[in-house]
Amino acid sequence: MPIELILVEVFALFLFLAGNYFLKKVYGRGVSKFFQGVLLLIAAYIIFKYIIFPPIPAALLYTYMGLITLVVFLLLSTTDQSWNEFKDPIVKTLEGGSPRFKTIRMVTFVLVPVLAGYGSYNYMYPKYQEPIELRTVHPAPPASIQVHGSELILQKARSPFRVNEKGDYDEKVEDRYLKANPFDDKGVAYLKYVREGGEIFFQNCHFCHGDNLNGAGMFAFAFNPIPANFTDPGTLAQLQQTFVFWRVAKGGIGLPREGFPWASAMPPWEKHLTTDEIWKVIEFEYWHTGYYPRTWD
Amino acid sequence: MKALKKSKNFLSLALLGILFLSLFSFAIPLFFQSKAYADEAAAPAAPVMGKDVYYKNEGPVSGPPAPKLKVGDYPMPNLPGVAKESRLIVWVIGQQHLYFGSFVLAVPIFCMVIELIGLLTKDPVASKRYDQLAYDFIKISLTAYSVTAILGGLLIFTFITMYPGFFAYLASLFRPFMHIYALLFLAESGTLYLYYYGWHRMEEGFLKWVHATLGILLNVFGTILMMLANSWLSYMMSPAGVDEKGQFLGNYAHLLHSALWNPINVHRIIGNMVFGGGIVAAYSAYKFLSSKTKEEKAYYDWMGYISMFFAVGSLIPLPFAGYWLMREVYAYRQQMGITLMGGLLAWLFILQAVLIGSLFFSVIYYLFNGMQRMKGAERYEKITKYIFFGVTAAFLVWLTPHTLVMTGSELKAIGGQQHPVVGNFGVMSAKNGAVNTMLILTVLTFVIYQRANKEITVKWKNFGNAMLFTMFGVALANNWWLAIYGYYIPANVRVGLSVPQVAGTLTCLFVGTAINVAMMKGAKSTGPVLWGTISNRSQFAIFALAVSFTWLMALMGYVRSSVRLFWHVMEIMRDNSPWAFTHPIGFASNMMSVNVIIFWIFTLFVFSLAELSSGHREVPSMEDSPVAKTAGRHGHAIAGASE
Repeated sequence: MPIELILVEVFALFLFLAGNYFLKKVYGRGVSKFFQGVLLLIAAYIIFKYIIFPPIPAALLYTYMGLITLVVFLLLSTTDQSWNEFKDPIVKTLEGGSPRFKTIRMVTFVLVPVLAGYGSYNYMYPKYQEPIELRTVHPAPPASIQVHGSELILQKARSPFRVNEKGDYDEKVEDRYLKANPFDDKGVAYLKYVREGGEIFFQNCHFCHGDNLNGAGMFAFAFNPIPANFTDPGTLAQLQQTFVFWRVAKGGIGLPREGFPWASAMPPWEKHLTTDEIWKVIEFEYWHTGYYPRTWD
Repeated sequence: MKALKKSKNFLSLALLGILFLSLFSFAIPLFFQSKAYADEAAAPAAPVMGKDVYYKNEGPVSGPPAPKLKVGDYPMPNLPGVAKESRLIVWVIGQQHLYFGSFVLAVPIFCMVIELIGLLTKDPVASKRYDQLAYDFIKISLTAYSVTAILGGLLIFTFITMYPGFFAYLASLFRPFMHIYALLFLAESGTLYLYYYGWHRMEEGFLKWVHATLGILLNVFGTILMMLANSWLSYMMSPAGVDEKGQFLGNYAHLLHSALWNPINVHRIIGNMVFGGGIVAAYSAYKFLSSKTKEEKAYYDWMGYISMFFAVGSLIPLPFAGYWLMREVYAYRQQMGITLMGGLLAWLFILQAVLIGSLFFSVIYYLFNGMQRMKGAERYEKITKYIFFGVTAAFLVWLTPHTLVMTGSELKAIGGQQHPVVGNFGVMSAKNGAVNTMLILTVLTFVIYQRANKEITVKWKNFGNAMLFTMFGVALANNWWLAIYGYYIPANVRVGLSVPQVAGTLTCLFVGTAINVAMMKGAKSTGPVLWGTISNRSQFAIFALAVSFTWLMALMGYVRSSVRLFWHVMEIMRDNSPWAFTHPIGFASNMMSVNVIIFWIFTLFVFSLAELSSGHREVPSMEDSPVAKTAGRHGHAIAGASE
């Protein structure tokens, strides 16, 4: 949970403060600024590398650690006293003013090139992973599309099945029936469409998008990119229903010029489903996840 | 003598009158309908009518259609490597012209404000200080003005030689405005020279007010100039006043007033002020680091503080103007909006987030360093780590992308395209919470800075502190609560949540600062501000701020321009050049960096020219006048000065 992560960070901060306070109480001095910096970096690395689960990608880890390094530097240099205290062991090591610092300097001057060399070796060592690709996740849709011989203007079209008890289009109908049972025979028309959409979904879509709609279906990991996770707040919740219709109808092969690398394995469902069936599937997806489509007013 | 003075005043007023009347010159073409294009060719009985692509009204076809260019219509320079791509040459020259244009529009705004503050300041020493500050900067802008003109000429030649077909079409539409543009440029030059060279001749009494009015006039000319130039690029993004073939329909007001013209105008005026403040702050830092005496250090330290304040003050409304612009882009064409924020250019907004975060860090770091100038500020040192922690946590959320860059094995380990924990930080709800947290904590840092060398003595001290504490606490709690709540509501409602979030932030900014200022009334000083004692490190924060602004301008300018994709003029005139493609992000970012480096080399050259012209001179005193000191008003001093 994202909130848990923020709480872990807050806990780490107070652990630091309490530790420093305790050391001051017992030994009369806290952790020196230099080691405060080092410890902060280590703590941040442990949180980002091991506490967040599943592990975050290396690119993001480096970004986070780069930021934390910068912040630690800024924090320790806000006052002259703090900055001098931080610099002191570094300067003394470089000067090698005492036998102890001479030893530290020797170890440092051996260790740093070795670590740099090891890092370079690791970086250059051939890897057999496929290269990283930056994808355009939500390419801009066309103004209109042709599906089954009729034109759909994306900025104006509406789902014919998002209707209230009177049969009129109602954006908020989903809100009223989120907890309702779609299998109830006495249910409203909207719920009937949701149920029919669900049937279509489980006949066609769940193999890739998963029976929890989380993009982890049984075939999901045979593809790169893997199928969309509808439970994520950044997919369905960010899109208009007409955008989703366009993606479902035209599939990966119908991605526009800016949708590179055009690697989506999604079939063009207009070849297999009717227009109404596509709309019903979309209604089911929104109802099941509890998200609302993006609207313009 | 009296007669001479009177005639001087009369001449000044007459000159001002003429300049004021020339303000309306830009409106002249609006009173004339263009001759129908058809009239030029054997005048048919009834003009052919066309329908405006934006305003949807009918009008007589009064211009040629947009040409359908072929690959051969784009001259290719005989240069090695990527330099063959003439677009890159236009990119560099255009960006440099824009930087300097922005600089020479912003610095007069800064000077106008500073001069007026000086005029209204009662303490003669402080008044002189402000006046000198404004003068120092207008001197720099004079050199930058020449550079801007040279780059502008170079840009026109580049367009004519490298994009002849496109430029001829644009010029056929905007010809009258281009003439006015040139005339306004002359008027602005004249006003600038009067403003600069007349500075010391118009130093006293009524003439000083005339001079200040010249400053206002200079800015009016500059703003209209910029708005005219903006109309060309806003036409390219959201054409109006033409039919679907790109034929002009005779209404210049429609041509000028396209859908994105005003949002771009507002965003750019504010952006220029931020940029100008950043550049003059960088100049101050440069002078501070190269100062030889205590007096110089003190003056340039103060100069840096004022410039930084101006830049950050202008920065606060900038996101709102940006938000409005983006909203108008969406309203004009949904595809453009999605390409920007969710599609092809979305990754560039992550870079923008990083740069904006670095601005906040620079400001906070500078303010905490600035407290070192004041005795008594030690009380607040322990707060530093909490503020840094809060801003860092918010920044981590702010820069987390929604779609992560990862290898196949990382993707499998995560179990999907979106991370179940940090993936939640990638959506707007989280971003709004994060950026408002950063803003609130920056405002809190400023409030602390204001109190650094003060002992509050008002009777309602505890009540005031409780009010401030509650205000900031409620603003933060409201901000976080709404950020979480945003995940559970429809997108159109969620977008509306940014209003109460920002309202909390702005309340802290305006009301919080006002309460804090009121509490300072009659406060006991724990010591003066020892100008010149700030650390050298803080000056690098100023450089970071200025460079971040420069990079941001390059980045967002590229985003705005490349959102047209393969159109010269959106949906009217296609770009059929061999390079009608969008560059990879890495290449584009390198181009931006090259532009930033070129600009800063140029800027350092401008700074050093200003040095050459003035040589070594006395800086204004940073010591308050005896009158002000006894009144206990300012509490300025320089390090080592007698107390």
